[in-house]
Amino acid sequence: MTRNATQFRTLVRREVLRFVRRPYNTFLPPIITNTLYFAVFGVILGSRIGEIAGVSYLQFVLPGLVVLGAISDSFENASFSIFHGRWNDYIQAVLISPMSDRGMVAAYVSASALRGVVTSVLIIAVGLVFTPVPVANPLYLLAFVLVITTLFAGFGVIGGLWASDFDYLTVMTQFILRPLVFFGAVFYSLELLPPLWRTLSFFNPMVYMVNGVRYGMIGVTEIDPNVSLAVLTAATVAVLAVDLLLFERGYGLTE
Amino acid sequence: METAIRADGLRKSYGDVRALDGLSFTVDRGEFFGLLGPNGAGKTTFINVLVGLVRKTGGTAEVFGFDVETEYKRARDRIGLAPQEFNVDRFFPIHEVLEHKAGYHGVPKAEAAERAEDALKTVGIWDKRDTRFDWLSGGMKRRFLLARALVTDPELLILDEPTAGVDVQLRRDLWRVIERLNADGTTILLTTHYIEEAERLCDRVAIVDSGRIVEVATPDDLRARGTDEVFVTLSTRPSSVPDLGIDGIVDARLDGDALVVTAQGGGRVVPELLRTLEYEGYEALDVEIRRASLEEVFVDMTRPDEPAEKLGAIQ
Repeated sequence: MTRNATQFRTLVRREVLRFVRRPYNTFLPPIITNTLYFAVFGVILGSRIGEIAGVSYLQFVLPGLVVLGAISDSFENASFSIFHGRWNDYIQAVLISPMSDRGMVAAYVSASALRGVVTSVLIIAVGLVFTPVPVANPLYLLAFVLVITTLFAGFGVIGGLWASDFDYLTVMTQFILRPLVFFGAVFYSLELLPPLWRTLSFFNPMVYMVNGVRYGMIGVTEIDPNVSLAVLTAATVAVLAVDLLLFERGYGLTE
Repeated sequence: METAIRADGLRKSYGDVRALDGLSFTVDRGEFFGLLGPNGAGKTTFINVLVGLVRKTGGTAEVFGFDVETEYKRARDRIGLAPQEFNVDRFFPIHEVLEHKAGYHGVPKAEAAERAEDALKTVGIWDKRDTRFDWLSGGMKRRFLLARALVTDPELLILDEPTAGVDVQLRRDLWRVIERLNADGTTILLTTHYIEEAERLCDRVAIVDSGRIVEVATPDDLRARGTDEVFVTLSTRPSSVPDLGIDGIVDARLDGDALVVTAQGGGRVVPELLRTLEYEGYEALDVEIRRASLEEVFVDMTRPDEPAEKLGAIQ
Protein backbone atom coordinates (compact mmCIF):
# COMPACT_ATOMS: atom_id res chain seq x y z
CA MET A 1 0.00 0.00 0.00
CA THR A 2 1.38 3.41 -0.91
CA ARG A 3 1.99 6.07 1.67
CA ASN A 4 -0.88 8.23 0.39
CA ALA A 5 -3.22 5.22 0.49
CA THR A 6 -2.23 4.49 4.10
CA GLN A 7 -2.91 8.08 5.07
CA PHE A 8 -6.28 8.08 3.31
CA ARG A 9 -7.28 4.72 4.73
CA THR A 10 -6.35 5.78 8.26
CA LEU A 11 -8.53 8.89 8.15
CA VAL A 12 -11.43 6.99 6.56
CA ARG A 13 -11.10 4.30 9.22
CA ARG A 14 -11.09 6.88 11.99
CA GLU A 15 -14.18 8.56 10.56
CA VAL A 16 -16.06 5.29 10.03
CA LEU A 17 -15.21 3.96 13.50
CA ARG A 18 -16.52 7.18 14.98
CA PHE A 19 -20.03 6.57 13.69
CA VAL A 20 -20.00 2.77 13.82
CA ARG A 21 -19.17 2.76 17.52
CA ARG A 22 -22.05 5.08 18.34
CA PRO A 23 -25.04 3.29 16.84
CA TYR A 24 -27.43 4.90 19.33
CA ASN A 25 -26.51 8.28 17.93
CA THR A 26 -26.02 7.34 14.30
CA PHE A 27 -28.04 4.31 13.18
CA LEU A 28 -30.84 3.96 15.70
CA PRO A 29 -32.44 7.39 15.03
CA PRO A 30 -33.12 6.75 11.30
CA ILE A 31 -34.46 3.29 12.12
CA ILE A 32 -36.93 4.68 14.66
CA THR A 33 -37.86 7.72 12.58
CA ASN A 34 -38.51 5.68 9.45
CA THR A 35 -40.46 3.05 11.35
CA LEU A 36 -42.72 5.90 12.47
CA TYR A 37 -42.94 7.28 8.92
CA PHE A 38 -43.90 3.88 7.53
CA ALA A 39 -46.41 3.26 10.30
CA VAL A 40 -48.12 6.65 10.01
CA PHE A 41 -47.78 7.59 6.34
CA GLY A 42 -47.70 4.14 4.88
CA VAL A 43 -49.96 1.96 6.91
CA ILE A 44 -52.45 4.40 8.45
CA LEU A 45 -52.69 7.11 5.76
CA GLY A 46 -51.59 4.91 2.87
CA SER A 47 -54.56 2.62 3.17
CA ARG A 48 -56.85 5.59 2.51
CA ILE A 49 -54.71 7.09 -0.29
CA GLY A 50 -54.51 3.96 -2.40
CA GLU A 51 -52.08 3.57 -5.31
CA ILE A 52 -49.86 6.27 -6.81
CA ALA A 53 -48.01 5.66 -10.08
CA GLY A 54 -49.18 2.08 -10.03
CA VAL A 55 -47.68 1.16 -6.63
CA SER A 56 -48.88 1.32 -3.04
CA TYR A 57 -48.39 4.62 -1.23
CA LEU A 58 -45.87 2.91 1.05
CA GLN A 59 -43.78 1.84 -1.93
CA PHE A 60 -44.16 5.31 -3.43
CA VAL A 61 -42.81 7.16 -0.37
CA LEU A 62 -40.04 4.66 0.37
CA PRO A 63 -37.55 6.11 -2.19
CA GLY A 64 -38.13 9.60 -0.80
CA LEU A 65 -37.49 8.40 2.72
CA VAL A 66 -34.28 6.74 1.55
CA VAL A 67 -33.15 10.06 0.05
CA LEU A 68 -34.17 11.96 3.18
CA GLY A 69 -32.18 9.64 5.44
CA ALA A 70 -29.20 9.30 3.10
CA ILE A 71 -28.58 12.98 2.51
CA SER A 72 -29.32 14.00 6.10
CA ASP A 73 -26.86 11.52 7.54
CA SER A 74 -24.10 12.07 5.00
CA PHE A 75 -24.41 15.84 5.47
CA GLU A 76 -24.58 15.65 9.25
CA ASN A 77 -21.66 13.24 9.45
CA ALA A 78 -19.27 15.42 7.48
CA SER A 79 -20.37 18.72 9.00
CA PHE A 80 -20.35 17.41 12.58
CA SER A 81 -17.05 15.58 12.28
CA ILE A 82 -15.20 18.54 10.80
CA PHE A 83 -16.83 21.12 13.04
CA HIS A 84 -16.30 19.04 16.19
CA GLY A 85 -12.66 18.53 15.22
CA ARG A 86 -12.27 22.28 14.77
CA TRP A 87 -14.19 23.07 17.96
CA ASN A 88 -11.90 20.84 20.01
CA ASP A 89 -8.82 21.47 17.84
CA TYR A 90 -8.11 17.76 17.34
CA ILE A 91 -8.47 18.15 13.58
CA GLN A 92 -5.01 19.71 13.91
CA ALA A 93 -3.54 16.21 14.22
CA VAL A 94 -4.63 15.67 10.62
CA LEU A 95 -3.82 19.18 9.41
CA ILE A 96 -0.20 19.14 10.61
CA SER A 97 0.43 15.71 9.07
CA PRO A 98 1.95 15.28 5.60
CA MET A 99 -1.48 14.34 4.18
CA SER A 100 -2.46 16.25 1.07
CA ASP A 101 -5.56 18.45 1.06
CA ARG A 102 -6.98 16.21 -1.64
CA GLY A 103 -6.49 13.15 0.56
CA MET A 104 -8.20 14.82 3.52
CA VAL A 105 -11.23 15.91 1.49
CA ALA A 106 -11.51 12.48 -0.13
CA ALA A 107 -11.40 10.75 3.25
CA TYR A 108 -13.98 12.99 4.96
CA VAL A 109 -16.33 12.78 1.99
CA SER A 110 -15.94 9.01 1.49
CA ALA A 111 -16.59 8.16 5.12
CA SER A 112 -19.63 10.44 5.30
CA ALA A 113 -21.03 9.15 2.02
CA LEU A 114 -20.59 5.63 3.36
CA ARG A 115 -22.68 6.53 6.39
CA GLY A 116 -25.39 7.80 4.03
CA VAL A 117 -25.28 4.53 2.09
CA VAL A 118 -25.55 2.49 5.30
CA THR A 119 -28.53 4.60 6.37
CA SER A 120 -30.15 3.97 2.97
CA VAL A 121 -29.78 0.22 3.45
CA LEU A 122 -31.21 0.43 6.96
CA ILE A 123 -34.25 2.39 5.73
CA ILE A 124 -34.86 -0.13 2.96
CA ALA A 125 -34.57 -2.90 5.57
CA VAL A 126 -37.17 -1.15 7.73
CA GLY A 127 -39.38 -0.79 4.64
CA LEU A 128 -39.15 -4.53 4.05
CA VAL A 129 -40.90 -5.05 7.38
CA PHE A 130 -43.94 -3.20 6.06
CA THR A 131 -44.01 -3.94 2.33
CA PRO A 132 -42.19 -5.74 -0.50
CA VAL A 133 -39.46 -3.44 -1.81
CA PRO A 134 -39.09 -3.51 -5.57
CA VAL A 135 -35.74 -2.75 -7.23
CA ALA A 136 -36.62 -2.09 -10.85
CA ASN A 137 -33.30 -0.56 -11.94
CA PRO A 138 -30.57 -1.62 -9.47
CA LEU A 139 -27.71 0.17 -11.24
CA TYR A 140 -29.63 3.45 -11.30
CA LEU A 141 -30.53 2.96 -7.66
CA LEU A 142 -26.89 2.40 -6.75
CA ALA A 143 -25.71 5.30 -8.90
CA PHE A 144 -28.24 7.74 -7.44
CA VAL A 145 -27.55 6.70 -3.85
CA LEU A 146 -23.80 7.06 -4.37
CA VAL A 147 -24.01 10.41 -6.08
CA ILE A 148 -26.43 12.02 -3.62
CA THR A 149 -24.56 10.78 -0.54
CA THR A 150 -21.29 12.05 -2.03
CA LEU A 151 -22.90 15.37 -2.95
CA PHE A 152 -24.25 15.93 0.56
CA ALA A 153 -21.08 14.71 2.21
CA GLY A 154 -19.40 17.41 0.12
CA PHE A 155 -21.94 19.99 1.31
CA GLY A 156 -21.33 18.76 4.85
CA VAL A 157 -17.63 19.52 4.52
CA ILE A 158 -18.48 23.11 3.56
CA GLY A 159 -20.93 23.34 6.45
CA GLY A 160 -18.39 21.96 8.90
CA LEU A 161 -15.80 24.50 7.78
CA TRP A 162 -18.28 27.39 7.81
CA ALA A 163 -19.93 26.71 11.17
CA SER A 164 -18.60 28.70 14.09
CA ASP A 165 -21.00 27.24 16.63
CA PHE A 166 -23.16 24.14 17.07
CA ASP A 167 -26.21 26.28 16.29
CA TYR A 168 -25.01 26.61 12.70
CA LEU A 169 -25.28 22.85 12.23
CA THR A 170 -28.87 22.89 13.48
CA VAL A 171 -29.74 25.78 11.19
CA MET A 172 -28.34 24.00 8.15
CA THR A 173 -30.15 20.71 8.72
CA GLN A 174 -33.44 21.92 10.18
CA PHE A 175 -34.06 25.11 8.25
CA ILE A 176 -32.48 24.40 4.86
CA LEU A 177 -32.13 20.67 4.29
CA ARG A 178 -35.40 19.35 5.70
CA PRO A 179 -37.74 21.89 4.03
CA LEU A 180 -36.12 21.21 0.66
CA VAL A 181 -36.58 17.48 1.17
CA PHE A 182 -40.19 17.76 2.33
CA PHE A 183 -41.02 19.86 -0.72
CA GLY A 184 -39.03 17.48 -2.91
CA ALA A 185 -41.92 15.18 -3.79
CA VAL A 186 -41.09 12.67 -1.09
CA PHE A 187 -44.68 12.24 0.08
CA TYR A 188 -46.59 13.24 -3.05
CA SER A 189 -46.49 13.03 -6.81
CA LEU A 190 -45.70 16.21 -8.75
CA GLU A 191 -48.80 15.49 -10.83
CA LEU A 192 -50.92 16.32 -7.82
CA LEU A 193 -49.54 19.87 -7.59
CA PRO A 194 -51.07 22.98 -9.24
CA PRO A 195 -49.09 24.01 -12.38
CA LEU A 196 -47.25 26.91 -10.65
CA TRP A 197 -46.05 24.77 -7.74
CA ARG A 198 -45.18 21.96 -10.09
CA THR A 199 -43.00 24.32 -12.14
CA LEU A 200 -41.37 25.75 -9.02
CA SER A 201 -40.63 22.22 -7.79
CA PHE A 202 -38.26 21.69 -10.70
CA PHE A 203 -35.96 24.30 -9.14
CA ASN A 204 -35.66 22.12 -6.04
CA PRO A 205 -32.68 19.78 -6.50
CA MET A 206 -34.27 17.28 -4.12
CA VAL A 207 -36.96 16.55 -6.71
CA TYR A 208 -34.31 15.14 -9.05
CA MET A 209 -32.82 12.99 -6.30
CA VAL A 210 -36.13 11.61 -5.13
CA ASN A 211 -37.23 10.89 -8.69
CA GLY A 212 -33.91 9.24 -9.49
CA VAL A 213 -34.06 6.88 -6.53
CA ARG A 214 -37.75 6.27 -7.22
CA TYR A 215 -36.84 5.26 -10.76
CA GLY A 216 -34.24 2.86 -9.39
CA MET A 217 -36.73 1.26 -7.03
CA ILE A 218 -40.16 1.27 -8.65
CA GLY A 219 -39.20 2.13 -12.23
CA VAL A 220 -41.36 5.25 -12.30
CA THR A 221 -40.11 8.82 -12.63
CA GLU A 222 -41.41 12.23 -13.62
CA ILE A 223 -37.98 13.40 -14.84
CA ASP A 224 -35.55 11.66 -17.22
CA PRO A 225 -33.20 9.75 -14.84
CA ASN A 226 -30.18 10.29 -17.09
CA VAL A 227 -30.67 14.03 -16.98
CA SER A 228 -31.04 13.89 -13.20
CA LEU A 229 -27.92 11.78 -12.85
CA ALA A 230 -25.89 14.07 -15.09
CA VAL A 231 -27.02 17.21 -13.22
CA LEU A 232 -26.35 15.64 -9.81
CA THR A 233 -22.95 14.34 -10.90
CA ALA A 234 -21.98 17.78 -12.18
CA ALA A 235 -23.16 19.34 -8.91
CA THR A 236 -21.14 16.78 -6.94
CA VAL A 237 -17.97 17.53 -8.90
CA ALA A 238 -18.50 21.26 -8.35
CA VAL A 239 -19.07 20.85 -4.60
CA LEU A 240 -16.01 18.63 -4.20
CA ALA A 241 -13.96 21.24 -6.07
CA VAL A 242 -15.18 23.86 -3.59
CA ASP A 243 -14.28 21.52 -0.70
CA LEU A 244 -10.76 21.16 -2.05
CA LEU A 245 -10.39 24.88 -2.62
CA LEU A 246 -11.47 25.62 0.94
CA PHE A 247 -9.01 23.09 2.37
CA GLU A 248 -6.20 24.45 0.23
CA ARG A 249 -6.96 27.96 1.42
CA GLY A 250 -7.25 26.76 5.00
CA TYR A 251 -10.76 28.22 5.32
CA GLY A 252 -11.90 27.63 8.91
CA LEU A 253 -8.80 25.53 9.51
CA THR A 254 -5.72 27.73 9.61
CA GLU A 255 -4.95 31.32 10.53
CA MET B 1 26.42 21.33 10.28
CA GLU B 2 23.03 20.66 8.70
CA THR B 3 20.31 23.15 9.52
CA ALA B 4 17.17 21.76 11.15
CA ILE B 5 15.20 25.03 11.18
CA ARG B 6 15.83 28.15 9.18
CA ALA B 7 13.64 31.22 9.59
CA ASP B 8 14.46 34.22 7.44
CA GLY B 9 12.58 37.49 7.76
CA LEU B 10 9.47 35.60 8.84
CA ARG B 11 6.38 37.78 9.15
CA LYS B 12 2.81 37.17 10.22
CA SER B 13 0.28 39.95 10.62
CA TYR B 14 -3.25 39.90 12.00
CA GLY B 15 -4.56 43.19 10.72
CA ASP B 16 -2.34 45.82 12.32
CA VAL B 17 -0.87 43.38 14.82
CA ARG B 18 2.50 41.93 13.86
CA ALA B 19 2.77 38.56 15.56
CA LEU B 20 6.02 37.84 13.72
CA ASP B 21 8.03 40.81 12.59
CA GLY B 22 11.03 39.66 10.58
CA LEU B 23 11.98 36.66 12.71
CA SER B 24 15.31 35.21 11.61
CA PHE B 25 17.41 32.46 13.17
CA THR B 26 18.66 28.93 12.57
CA VAL B 27 18.70 25.76 14.62
CA ASP B 28 21.30 23.07 13.87
CA ARG B 29 20.49 19.39 13.50
CA GLY B 30 20.79 17.64 16.85
CA GLU B 31 20.63 20.86 18.82
CA PHE B 32 18.49 21.43 21.90
CA PHE B 33 17.19 24.91 21.21
CA GLY B 34 15.02 27.05 23.47
CA LEU B 35 12.65 29.86 22.57
CA LEU B 36 12.09 32.24 25.47
CA GLY B 37 9.82 35.21 25.45
CA PRO B 38 6.94 36.81 27.29
CA ASN B 39 3.34 35.93 26.51
CA GLY B 40 2.42 37.15 23.03
CA ALA B 41 6.03 37.30 21.87
CA GLY B 42 5.25 35.12 18.84
CA LYS B 43 6.66 31.77 19.96
CA THR B 44 3.54 29.68 19.32
CA THR B 45 2.81 31.59 16.11
CA PHE B 46 6.27 30.65 14.86
CA ILE B 47 5.71 26.98 15.71
CA ASN B 48 2.33 27.02 13.99
CA VAL B 49 3.94 28.44 10.85
CA LEU B 50 6.34 25.49 10.83
CA VAL B 51 3.53 22.91 11.05
CA GLY B 52 1.09 24.72 8.74
CA LEU B 53 -1.56 25.91 11.19
CA VAL B 54 -0.63 29.54 10.50
CA ARG B 55 0.03 30.93 7.01
CA LYS B 56 2.95 33.32 7.04
CA THR B 57 2.57 36.81 5.61
CA GLY B 58 6.17 37.02 4.42
CA GLY B 59 9.68 35.63 4.68
CA THR B 60 10.67 31.98 4.55
CA ALA B 61 10.74 29.05 6.93
CA GLU B 62 12.42 25.72 6.26
CA VAL B 63 12.66 22.44 8.14
CA PHE B 64 15.71 20.37 7.19
CA GLY B 65 15.91 22.40 4.00
CA PHE B 66 12.27 21.91 3.01
CA ASP B 67 10.06 24.96 2.68
CA VAL B 68 7.14 24.64 5.11
CA GLU B 69 4.63 25.72 2.46
CA THR B 70 5.86 24.58 -0.94
CA GLU B 71 7.39 21.33 0.38
CA TYR B 72 5.05 20.91 3.32
CA LYS B 73 4.75 17.14 3.06
CA ARG B 74 8.47 16.56 3.48
CA ALA B 75 8.76 19.24 6.16
CA ARG B 76 5.83 18.02 8.25
CA ASP B 77 6.89 14.41 7.92
CA ARG B 78 9.96 15.28 9.97
CA ILE B 79 8.15 17.18 12.74
CA GLY B 80 6.59 15.91 15.94
CA LEU B 81 4.66 18.54 17.88
CA ALA B 82 3.54 18.53 21.50
CA PRO B 83 1.38 21.65 21.63
CA GLN B 84 0.65 23.89 24.55
CA GLU B 85 -3.12 23.32 24.42
CA PHE B 86 -4.85 19.95 24.71
CA ASN B 87 -6.08 19.09 21.21
CA VAL B 88 -6.71 15.38 21.37
CA ASP B 89 -9.40 13.28 19.71
CA ARG B 90 -11.86 12.50 22.51
CA PHE B 91 -13.70 9.74 20.66
CA PHE B 92 -11.02 7.10 20.93
CA PRO B 93 -8.84 5.44 23.58
CA ILE B 94 -5.39 6.94 23.60
CA HIS B 95 -3.60 4.02 21.94
CA GLU B 96 -5.92 4.37 18.94
CA VAL B 97 -5.35 8.12 18.83
CA LEU B 98 -1.64 7.38 18.47
CA GLU B 99 -2.24 4.74 15.81
CA HIS B 100 -4.31 7.22 13.84
CA LYS B 101 -1.60 9.87 14.16
CA ALA B 102 1.03 7.46 12.86
CA GLY B 103 -1.31 6.48 10.02
CA TYR B 104 -1.74 10.12 8.97
CA HIS B 105 2.03 10.09 8.46
CA GLY B 106 1.78 6.99 6.27
CA VAL B 107 2.84 4.40 8.85
CA PRO B 108 1.13 1.04 8.12
CA LYS B 109 -1.39 -0.20 10.70
CA ALA B 110 0.66 -2.99 12.29
CA GLU B 111 3.72 -0.77 12.65
CA ALA B 112 1.56 2.09 13.93
CA ALA B 113 0.31 -0.18 16.73
CA GLU B 114 3.88 -1.07 17.68
CA ARG B 115 4.92 2.56 17.66
CA ALA B 116 1.93 3.52 19.79
CA GLU B 117 2.95 0.93 22.35
CA ASP B 118 6.56 2.14 22.35
CA ALA B 119 5.53 5.78 22.71
CA LEU B 120 3.13 5.09 25.59
CA LYS B 121 5.77 3.00 27.36
CA THR B 122 8.38 5.72 26.82
CA VAL B 123 6.26 8.28 28.65
CA GLY B 124 5.07 5.76 31.24
CA ILE B 125 1.32 5.54 30.56
CA TRP B 126 1.04 2.21 28.74
CA ASP B 127 -1.29 0.93 31.47
CA LYS B 128 -3.73 3.72 30.47
CA ARG B 129 -3.79 2.73 26.81
CA ASP B 130 -7.52 1.93 26.75
CA THR B 131 -8.47 5.16 28.51
CA ARG B 132 -9.80 8.19 26.70
CA PHE B 133 -7.85 11.42 26.93
CA ASP B 134 -10.47 13.20 29.04
CA TRP B 135 -10.10 10.63 31.80
CA LEU B 136 -6.35 11.11 32.19
CA SER B 137 -4.94 13.27 34.98
CA GLY B 138 -3.33 16.59 34.07
CA GLY B 139 0.17 15.12 34.27
CA MET B 140 -0.77 12.12 32.16
CA LYS B 141 -2.27 14.42 29.55
CA ARG B 142 1.10 16.16 29.24
CA ARG B 143 2.82 12.79 28.95
CA PHE B 144 0.35 11.77 26.26
CA LEU B 145 1.01 14.89 24.18
CA LEU B 146 4.69 13.96 24.22
CA ALA B 147 3.84 10.37 23.22
CA ARG B 148 1.76 11.63 20.30
CA ALA B 149 4.65 13.79 19.14
CA LEU B 150 6.99 10.78 19.32
CA VAL B 151 4.81 8.23 17.55
CA THR B 152 5.83 9.47 14.11
CA ASP B 153 9.52 9.11 15.02
CA PRO B 154 10.31 12.77 14.24
CA GLU B 155 13.71 14.22 13.46
CA LEU B 156 12.53 17.53 14.90
CA LEU B 157 10.57 17.47 18.15
CA ILE B 158 8.76 20.71 18.95
CA LEU B 159 7.68 21.12 22.55
CA ASP B 160 5.48 24.12 23.26
CA GLU B 161 5.37 24.57 27.03
CA PRO B 162 5.64 20.81 27.62
CA THR B 163 5.75 21.03 31.41
CA ALA B 164 3.17 23.77 31.97
CA GLY B 165 1.17 23.04 35.09
CA VAL B 166 2.86 19.76 36.02
CA ASP B 167 4.47 18.92 39.36
CA VAL B 168 8.21 18.93 39.90
CA GLN B 169 8.60 15.15 39.79
CA LEU B 170 6.78 14.81 36.48
CA ARG B 171 8.69 17.75 35.06
CA ARG B 172 11.95 16.00 35.84
CA ASP B 173 10.61 12.73 34.38
CA LEU B 174 9.75 14.52 31.16
CA TRP B 175 13.15 16.21 31.12
CA ARG B 176 14.84 12.81 31.30
CA VAL B 177 12.81 11.54 28.34
CA ILE B 178 13.53 14.65 26.30
CA GLU B 179 17.24 14.64 27.14
CA ARG B 180 17.52 11.00 26.08
CA LEU B 181 15.82 11.76 22.77
CA ASN B 182 18.21 14.63 22.16
CA ALA B 183 21.18 12.47 23.05
CA ASP B 184 19.96 9.98 20.44
CA GLY B 185 20.06 12.71 17.78
CA THR B 186 16.58 14.26 17.79
CA THR B 187 16.63 18.01 17.28
CA ILE B 188 14.50 19.72 19.90
CA LEU B 189 12.82 23.10 19.81
CA LEU B 190 11.48 24.03 23.23
CA THR B 191 9.40 26.96 24.34
CA THR B 192 9.04 27.38 28.05
CA HIS B 193 8.16 29.82 30.77
CA TYR B 194 10.42 27.97 33.19
CA ILE B 195 13.82 29.61 32.89
CA GLU B 196 15.35 26.77 34.91
CA GLU B 197 14.14 24.39 32.22
CA ALA B 198 15.89 26.34 29.49
CA GLU B 199 19.08 26.69 31.53
CA ARG B 200 19.23 23.00 32.24
CA LEU B 201 18.22 21.61 28.86
CA CYS B 202 19.13 23.99 26.07
CA ASP B 203 22.37 24.24 24.10
CA ARG B 204 21.27 27.65 22.89
CA VAL B 205 18.31 29.88 23.53
CA ALA B 206 16.71 32.62 21.49
CA ILE B 207 15.00 35.41 23.34
CA VAL B 208 11.98 36.52 21.36
CA ASP B 209 9.99 39.69 21.90
CA SER B 210 7.34 41.37 19.78
CA GLY B 211 7.82 38.85 16.98
CA ARG B 212 11.56 39.46 16.67
CA ILE B 213 14.67 37.73 17.94
CA VAL B 214 16.32 39.87 20.59
CA GLU B 215 19.30 37.59 21.14
CA VAL B 216 20.56 34.07 20.42
CA ALA B 217 23.25 32.62 22.66
CA THR B 218 24.08 29.82 25.06
CA PRO B 219 22.54 30.17 28.52
CA ASP B 220 26.04 30.76 29.96
CA ASP B 221 26.77 33.54 27.46
CA LEU B 222 23.50 35.22 28.23
CA ARG B 223 24.08 35.04 31.95
CA ALA B 224 27.50 36.60 31.45
CA ARG B 225 25.83 39.62 29.89
CA GLY B 226 23.81 40.23 33.01
CA THR B 227 24.94 42.22 36.04
CA ASP B 228 26.27 40.32 39.07
CA GLU B 229 26.05 41.55 42.63
CA VAL B 230 29.18 41.49 44.80
CA PHE B 231 28.51 41.55 48.57
CA VAL B 232 31.56 42.70 50.57
CA THR B 233 31.16 42.47 54.35
CA LEU B 234 33.33 45.16 55.98
CA SER B 235 34.73 45.29 59.51
CA THR B 236 33.38 48.80 59.97
CA ARG B 237 30.34 50.32 58.31
CA PRO B 238 31.32 53.25 56.07
CA SER B 239 29.41 56.49 56.58
CA SER B 240 28.88 56.68 52.84
CA VAL B 241 29.53 54.62 49.74
CA PRO B 242 33.28 54.75 49.01
CA ASP B 243 34.44 56.29 45.75
CA LEU B 244 35.47 53.15 43.84
CA GLY B 245 36.14 54.39 40.28
CA ILE B 246 36.48 50.89 38.78
CA ASP B 247 35.51 50.05 35.20
CA GLY B 248 32.58 47.63 34.97
CA ILE B 249 30.88 48.71 38.18
CA VAL B 250 27.33 49.84 37.48
CA ASP B 251 26.16 50.67 40.97
CA ALA B 252 27.23 50.52 44.60
CA ARG B 253 25.18 50.81 47.80
CA LEU B 254 25.38 50.03 51.47
CA ASP B 255 23.35 47.26 53.06
CA GLY B 256 24.09 47.06 56.81
CA ASP B 257 27.78 46.20 57.19
CA ALA B 258 27.98 45.12 53.58
CA LEU B 259 28.89 47.07 50.50
CA VAL B 260 26.81 45.82 47.58
CA VAL B 261 28.41 46.42 44.20
CA THR B 262 26.57 45.76 40.96
CA ALA B 263 28.89 44.97 38.08
CA GLN B 264 29.11 43.22 34.77
CA GLY B 265 31.40 40.23 35.35
CA GLY B 266 31.47 40.31 39.14
CA GLY B 267 34.44 37.95 39.36
CA ARG B 268 36.58 40.26 37.24
CA VAL B 269 36.08 43.36 39.38
CA VAL B 270 36.58 41.70 42.80
CA PRO B 271 40.44 41.88 42.97
CA GLU B 272 40.54 45.57 42.10
CA LEU B 273 37.54 46.23 44.35
CA LEU B 274 39.29 44.67 47.34
CA ARG B 275 42.51 46.58 46.61
CA THR B 276 40.60 49.84 46.39
CA LEU B 277 38.75 49.20 49.63
CA GLU B 278 42.01 48.33 51.41
CA TYR B 279 43.58 51.51 50.03
CA GLU B 280 40.60 53.49 51.36
CA GLY B 281 41.14 51.93 54.80
CA TYR B 282 38.36 49.33 54.90
CA GLU B 283 38.89 45.72 55.97
CA ALA B 284 36.93 43.15 53.99
CA LEU B 285 35.77 40.21 56.13
CA ASP B 286 33.83 38.28 53.50
CA VAL B 287 33.09 38.43 49.78
CA GLU B 288 30.14 36.82 48.04
CA ILE B 289 29.28 37.04 44.35
CA ARG B 290 25.66 36.54 43.38
CA ARG B 291 25.59 35.70 39.67
CA ALA B 292 23.01 37.16 37.33
CA SER B 293 20.35 34.61 36.54
CA LEU B 294 19.09 33.89 33.05
CA GLU B 295 15.75 35.06 34.35
CA GLU B 296 17.13 38.53 35.10
CA VAL B 297 18.84 38.73 31.74
CA PHE B 298 15.63 37.66 30.09
CA VAL B 299 13.66 40.39 31.84
CA ASP B 300 16.32 43.00 31.03
CA MET B 301 16.16 42.08 27.36
CA THR B 302 12.40 41.96 27.00
CA ARG B 303 10.81 44.38 29.45
CA PRO B 304 13.61 46.24 31.21
CA ASP B 305 11.16 48.59 32.92
CA GLU B 306 8.92 45.91 34.37
CA PRO B 307 9.51 43.40 37.15
CA ALA B 308 9.58 39.77 36.08
CA GLU B 309 6.39 38.84 37.93
CA LYS B 310 4.40 41.35 35.90
CA LEU B 311 5.44 39.78 32.66
CA GLY B 312 3.90 36.47 33.57
CA ALA B 313 7.02 35.08 32.06
CA ILE B 314 8.70 33.67 35.09
CA GLN B 315 6.92 30.99 37.06
